[in-house]
Amino acid sequence: MRIKQTKIWGFFSSIRLAIWLLSTIAFFSLIGTFIPQSTIYSSWWFILLLVLFSLNLIVCILNRFALKNRSWGSFVSHLSILIILCGALIGILFGQKDLLKISKGQEVSSFMSRGKKVNLGFSLRLNEFIYNENIDAKERLLVYRNTKAEKGVCDVHNKPLATKESEGFLAEVPINPGIEQDIGNTGYQIKVLRYLPDFVMDTSTKQVLSRSASPNNPALQVELKDSRGGVKTAWLFARFPDIHQEVSADFRIFYHWAPRRPKDFISKVTILKDGKEILSRDIQVNAPLNFAGYNFFQTSYDSQDLSWTGLQVVKDPGVPVIYAGFVLLIVGLVMIFYVGPLFKGDN
Amino acid sequence: MSSLYLNLSFGAYFLAMVFYTASLFFKNKIFPQAARFFIICGILGLSIYIGARWQAALRPPLSNMFESLVVFGWAIAVLLIFIDLKYKTKAINALTALMGLLALGYASLLDKEIVPLLPALKSNWLTLHVLTCFIGYAALTVAFVSSIIILCNKEEHKNLDNISHKIIAFGFLFLTLGIISGSVWANSAWGTYWSWDPKETWSLITWVIYAIYLHARLKRGWKGKKAAWLSVIGFIAMLFTYFGVNYLLAGLHSYAS
Repeated sequence: MRIKQTKIWGFFSSIRLAIWLLSTIAFFSLIGTFIPQSTIYSSWWFILLLVLFSLNLIVCILNRFALKNRSWGSFVSHLSILIILCGALIGILFGQKDLLKISKGQEVSSFMSRGKKVNLGFSLRLNEFIYNENIDAKERLLVYRNTKAEKGVCDVHNKPLATKESEGFLAEVPINPGIEQDIGNTGYQIKVLRYLPDFVMDTSTKQVLSRSASPNNPALQVELKDSRGGVKTAWLFARFPDIHQEVSADFRIFYHWAPRRPKDFISKVTILKDGKEILSRDIQVNAPLNFAGYNFFQTSYDSQDLSWTGLQVVKDPGVPVIYAGFVLLIVGLVMIFYVGPLFKGDN
Repeated sequence: MSSLYLNLSFGAYFLAMVFYTASLFFKNKIFPQAARFFIICGILGLSIYIGARWQAALRPPLSNMFESLVVFGWAIAVLLIFIDLKYKTKAINALTALMGLLALGYASLLDKEIVPLLPALKSNWLTLHVLTCFIGYAALTVAFVSSIIILCNKEEHKNLDNISHKIIAFGFLFLTLGIISGSVWANSAWGTYWSWDPKETWSLITWVIYAIYLHARLKRGWKGKKAAWLSVIGFIAMLFTYFGVNYLLAGLHSYAS
């Protein structure tokens, strides 16, 4: 008996089975989206469904290709799905992947992938991790005449109780670091020197620093210049408007903070081989580093501790196969829907 | 940034819907002509709005719910003009104009502030990914409208069924392009082309439903009402991919809400 006449071949060649399998795969995928950290997609029975689907697809492709009036579009698009699934399988079997946590100055030359140690054959050193933020347009300085009545100008949630309409309001100054800006027409100028999201002062050294990148205690160092050229610097605290230092006898300045959005995550790295520096590069989101077949992606960081970066290292030989599948899928669909009908006439 | 052109377009969409609806009841040729005029006005207005926002933001305005809804409304109207000129099915026109109006109406309720892009979104793939997705969504919306009319009619409508099929084929192609561009982008940003994130999974579910539609129609002869039901189910899945995932499920795309 030839294989094409067997019952099992007949079973796997049916479109009805394909529809049932697709519906079942879609249904369990749906369930998975409602379970956080779902393991459905890597469970044996979900993979079995995909294997059955692949068998179904293979039999259908073979049957269809044997026909005389075969549709090339249909052939190419179905084959492409199979190629994409193969690419995924190659990735599962031969792909190497790990999240590297690298501290400033640290060198990494290996990683763990599925319980096995992988040697890179070179090492990667983190020189520096840079995290930049966008200043929100709502963030600004509010300047008032120095009347004692303006105490407690912000509530605990940093919402200003005093506004432009309040007594003694002089000017509103946007945050433009490093640029001298006029305070209304008072003749004074103010410049933002430094921003610390989580201000803390080392009591022994009197050194000022940011404990983390989280806005736990946003503080701004400003420089005030009067009309005669006298200069004073001071720290302003968004959450503690009352404990700011005396900047000037004439003013009280309030720092109205607004959440800043991430702008860049940059890992400055150097590749070393046998102790020699080979190249230095910046790794950013959407700009990975590729070296000797390994790709390094900027995927995580810690807002509490900016001294380390999280780089995803990936070597996946399945990716080119997947991409070939993608191209074929598009070509196949265009052939079915648009190129094919041109030759058959409009139906 | 002024919302003048957005509001003008909303008005134009509304008038287009009114005139398309009027053309259902009155034979006068002036009604469909007026409707076409207003829908083109709406498209131009939105194009100006999108262009101005692009210039103000220094990036394509395709990065959050508001901006995507504007593009969605734009894509629906562009498709409507083509459908109208090609098939001249009055009921589809009127209901499609309503869908465009709903997209813009919902957009107008949202925060219009221009915010800087998060690092993950700073990529040339953004434009391709969002445009292909929303052209696909717009087509599937038109197919939904056509399917609803099939389901509401007592007698079989071969013509509407054909239109649905053609638009779903077009929408399916763009949905595929959208998923593929998203996958390639994810791989270039994070090193994984597929992570079963809720948005990805729901787009796949939507894609599978329309794949079933195409196969059931071709191989099992599902036409008319049976096929129309599948198109409606697919549309609901599409809506969940678009809105439900952003509001109900957390994942890679949650920053876009």
